[in-house]
Amino acid sequence: MSGRRTETGGRIDRLRTIRFTFDGKAYTGHAGDTLASALLAAGVTLFGRSFKYHRPRGLVAAGVDEPNALVTVLRDGTREPNVPATQVEIFDGLVAESQNRFPSLSFDLGAVNGLGGRFFGAGFYYKTFMGPVIGPLKGTRVWMLCEWFIRRAAGLGRAGRAADPATYERVNAFCDVLVVGSGLAGLVAARAAALEGKRVILAEADATMGGSANWSGERIGGRPADEWAEDTTAELAAMDNVRLLPRTTVWGYYDGNTLAATERVSGHKAQAAKAEPRHRTWTIRAGTVVLATGALERPIVFPGNDRPGVMLAGAAERYANEFGVLPGRRIALFANNDGAYRAAAALAAAGAGIAAIVDVRPAISEGARMLAGMAGGELLLGHAVTGTQGGTALSGISVRRFDAGRPTGEARALPVDCLAVSGGWSPVIHLASQAGQKPVWSDERQAFLPPEPTQNWLGAGAFTGAAITAEALAQGRAAGLKAAGGKADRTKQPEVEAPTLDPAPAPVFEIAVPDGREKAFVDFQHDVTADDVRLARREGFVSVEHMKRYTTLGMATDQGKTSNVPGLAIMAAERGVPIPEVGTTRFRAPYASVSLGSIAAERHGDLRPARLTPMHDWHVEHGAVMQAAGLWFRPQIYGLPGETVEQAYVREARTVRAGAGIVDVSTLGKIAVQGPDAAAFLDRVYTNTFSTLPVGKARYGLMLREDGFVFDDGTTWRLGENDFLMTTTTANAARVMQHLEYFLDVVWPDLRVHLTSVTDEWAGAAVAGPDARKVLERAVTGTAVDDAALPFMGIVRGEVDGAPVMVCRLSFSGELAYEVYCGAGHGTHVWEALVEAGEPFGIVPYGLEALGTLRIEKGHVTGSEIDGRTTARDLHLDGLLSKKKPFIGSAMANREGLADPDRLSLVGVVSLDGRPLNGGAHVTLAQSGPGGLGESIGHLTAVCYSPALQKYVALALLRGGSALHGTRAFVSDPMRGRFGPVEIVSHHFFDPEGSRLHG
Amino acid sequence: MAERESPLVPVYRPGSHGNFAAGAGVRLLETRPGSIVQAAAWPGEERRLAAAIAAVTGLALPEGPGAGAADGRRAAFGFAPGRVLVVDQQDGLAAMLSGAIASDIGTVTDLSHGRTAIRISGDKAEWVLSKLFAIDFAPAAFPSGAGRATLHHDVSALIQRTGERQFDLYVFRSFARSFWTMLCHAAAEVGYEVA
Repeated sequence: MSGRRTETGGRIDRLRTIRFTFDGKAYTGHAGDTLASALLAAGVTLFGRSFKYHRPRGLVAAGVDEPNALVTVLRDGTREPNVPATQVEIFDGLVAESQNRFPSLSFDLGAVNGLGGRFFGAGFYYKTFMGPVIGPLKGTRVWMLCEWFIRRAAGLGRAGRAADPATYERVNAFCDVLVVGSGLAGLVAARAAALEGKRVILAEADATMGGSANWSGERIGGRPADEWAEDTTAELAAMDNVRLLPRTTVWGYYDGNTLAATERVSGHKAQAAKAEPRHRTWTIRAGTVVLATGALERPIVFPGNDRPGVMLAGAAERYANEFGVLPGRRIALFANNDGAYRAAAALAAAGAGIAAIVDVRPAISEGARMLAGMAGGELLLGHAVTGTQGGTALSGISVRRFDAGRPTGEARALPVDCLAVSGGWSPVIHLASQAGQKPVWSDERQAFLPPEPTQNWLGAGAFTGAAITAEALAQGRAAGLKAAGGKADRTKQPEVEAPTLDPAPAPVFEIAVPDGREKAFVDFQHDVTADDVRLARREGFVSVEHMKRYTTLGMATDQGKTSNVPGLAIMAAERGVPIPEVGTTRFRAPYASVSLGSIAAERHGDLRPARLTPMHDWHVEHGAVMQAAGLWFRPQIYGLPGETVEQAYVREARTVRAGAGIVDVSTLGKIAVQGPDAAAFLDRVYTNTFSTLPVGKARYGLMLREDGFVFDDGTTWRLGENDFLMTTTTANAARVMQHLEYFLDVVWPDLRVHLTSVTDEWAGAAVAGPDARKVLERAVTGTAVDDAALPFMGIVRGEVDGAPVMVCRLSFSGELAYEVYCGAGHGTHVWEALVEAGEPFGIVPYGLEALGTLRIEKGHVTGSEIDGRTTARDLHLDGLLSKKKPFIGSAMANREGLADPDRLSLVGVVSLDGRPLNGGAHVTLAQSGPGGLGESIGHLTAVCYSPALQKYVALALLRGGSALHGTRAFVSDPMRGRFGPVEIVSHHFFDPEGSRLHG
Repeated sequence: MAERESPLVPVYRPGSHGNFAAGAGVRLLETRPGSIVQAAAWPGEERRLAAAIAAVTGLALPEGPGAGAADGRRAAFGFAPGRVLVVDQQDGLAAMLSGAIASDIGTVTDLSHGRTAIRISGDKAEWVLSKLFAIDFAPAAFPSGAGRATLHHDVSALIQRTGERQFDLYVFRSFARSFWTMLCHAAAEVGYEVA
């Protein structure tokens, strides 16, 4: 270990040693360290390889803005890639690895890309792959060939393939005031609002509250700033109306003052507590938001500025003051503003040697000059750094005089192992930009300041451009009070001891060295250089939006936190226009990377809730293969050992026609339609008439959409004068409910009708087959079920084994059949009693396949035919269109196009080659086959093997409809290679007279 | 009379679950009321409906959207304009309400089989429910006795606060098993006890 750790100081717990592994090597650090600070303390300078050129890269920052040191954290067999090492809190057993290197970080073969750098400049992909013809290969083919290699060479970390065992969750929160950022401005804002009695949430992205107070070295109220922040945090933590959220990044600002944040709950712990999620995404609905998100320091662009050892001045100060780590033994500073001088003094105080402070400005403030004196070293005003030396660590820099915006004179070499750079500060206006107008450029601060809000937020602290702590405190308190609607200023402003510095930086963003060979980087994470920006201008991509896309500047995972403003400034200088004229980039969510797991949260592995009928467990226990039908699960077949699906449904359907079967119909939509105007309402929504239906009877009904097409069908039972039970198809239940509610609420609010979903109130079992009545006679008590007591479409009430039931005689299968309804809680009880009563008749439970077979044999339509494109006439249901009354869709149903005799209409189709038919296959009149396809006259909607006909049959929608009965035709299914002869017949395949229905 | 079966049977596991380091954050219970009934008034008849409910149950319903009352055995709360959910641990409430609510006042719909009632209580009840529902559970926004109609993705739920740290949830029976499983997952972090 090279021992970069200071003897004393810092906020780390030196008594607690923590062991972790990076790239397979064991390291130690202290509690309070990040992976970045612990590795830096161990003398590590090389943290990653760059995106395109595989250049060695070190730490640039100490926080969320770190562009270079992205690592992959390995945990529980899974990989979390692209995490800044500055954001990883170390814990015992942490395993992390570097990215984008092969075979190793220190010896990387991809670095050869750096030699061919000019070929990988901006627009490389467009120019190379969008069109040139190379031999037989057109551009896109070249791309397909090269993509694999490029993707391996360029890029960031890779995700793993193993399933993530961690849990994630979401939570909703409501508050009066949300404070984003717990620097001093945020802390006092939260306290001011909390003292007014408001519900306050204070979110901080870092593990510790306090922001820059933790490393500024300033004093507040006579104490070190970090202690003052700690005490204020403790005070807030003790208040019932305050929720503190450390490790929580607020990353999105949405309409209605709704903000999204992700909390890192357990990833920083050696051992998560039982059932503790890894991440938790917060949806926070706030009355007012106080944005106190601070500011990020900018680098200066100069040749070789990406050498490991070149870092931001504020980061160097933070490593020294917060973590007790010296980023170098002999350090130079390079600045265009006063901020770096505080860093210089801090680094010197921590034990580093300051070689020089290089400042592009010819003159500096008194405060800065005083700090320079404390730091020691040469003060090189009117100078600039024009180059760096070293390999995987910095060994020296070149300095030249800087005059009128350009370097002049001879270069002078300074041997240093760290260069701390400050190019000014950019307020973190990401969230404000999502909820505001365009950011405002400040010439004085050389930065974009927060825009006018379009939502209810206030700003405080460095976010607003405030440069000194006293101003941040005052703004924070004012914002907190205003957010809370308070006026009285109850808090005493503490005294701040800090050097007086000039907040205005010199407008210098790049040190351009004419005919310099070294690359000068703007965007470290995407390897975009100053020359790339210039190239973009030369090629016409001059507006910020075009430059960004052409060069990919600002489009990496850090979204240009350190690079956007320098990139704009270089483009502005090239074009000779002011910076705001080039444009401003608006920021999109998320502010920082968000794990997909935390967005999926509780829906992981369980995307939709399962909807189960009351008899679900019985079906499963009796061998049913369950099939999803929307959210419902329904039995497909009850297979016997060794049976195929077809064998099972044929057996089931045959048994129904021969004796009796029972099927679960609980999933049918059921709507209670109640009230004095219920009958009148039904007359309007159904095509046929319901007001004439006697109490105790049911009727089949058809609904159209407003445009005249068929919407849904079902039976509706009149249980009382003002009390109807409507049934709908399973699939359309919710849509029918919405349709009816819309008409009641909006079109006919005068009708006194209540609609209530009672789908779940009733369990339904249909008993069908020639022996169905005998089954009921054995099972149902309290009522007769003979033809006189229970005629077709009649309803009776009785009991089955002590449970009250309603029995309606109606049929979907064409057999004598009854639907037995009971309270859902009695569903299995009644079902079992019916099955037991049917045993002497060989009753079988049957599933959806047999149900479908029976209805196809009868030519009954379902959702396959009611597909939103068919009319009542198409389905031969026009007898149900009342001519005596208007109904929804009645006017539009008679449009010319809907009455066209050439429309597809319902027929039956029989396979003539004894082979199964496919749903969706086309029908042609001319022979179809692999050699040629005839013209389609329509398609098959539903297919089965019909045990009654002992043939493969189908329902079909064909042009010509009934006129084609008796015609030979062909199925044509080129996708599945099924061709063959068929006969077109009536859709009433079986018992067209309905004699069995009345058994 | 046949026994009424709960849809939660295979997933209802009495005992302690999840992270018990700090005891049970919440207690979960299927309350299995005998009667869950919707009473709905025609526009303008809301007061007469409330009076009828009061006559049958003894519960005085405050006015206003979502207002409700509970007395341990019975509960009632508004969940939509003119609509009140009335719950009784005993059977037979639908018949009693039908007798009291004439057709010129409104309608009565028996939902006793169709809804599953789940009680969540304890210090962390608000926290656990906040994971599932995007409504404010703080007492100031959601006072005792009040009801809310809300949704967790596809599962609609009616929720009544029946105590300082207690909520009664009514979900569609067909979704109840899925919902219960999700609720248990959400509660595992704070430890839960199934009564």
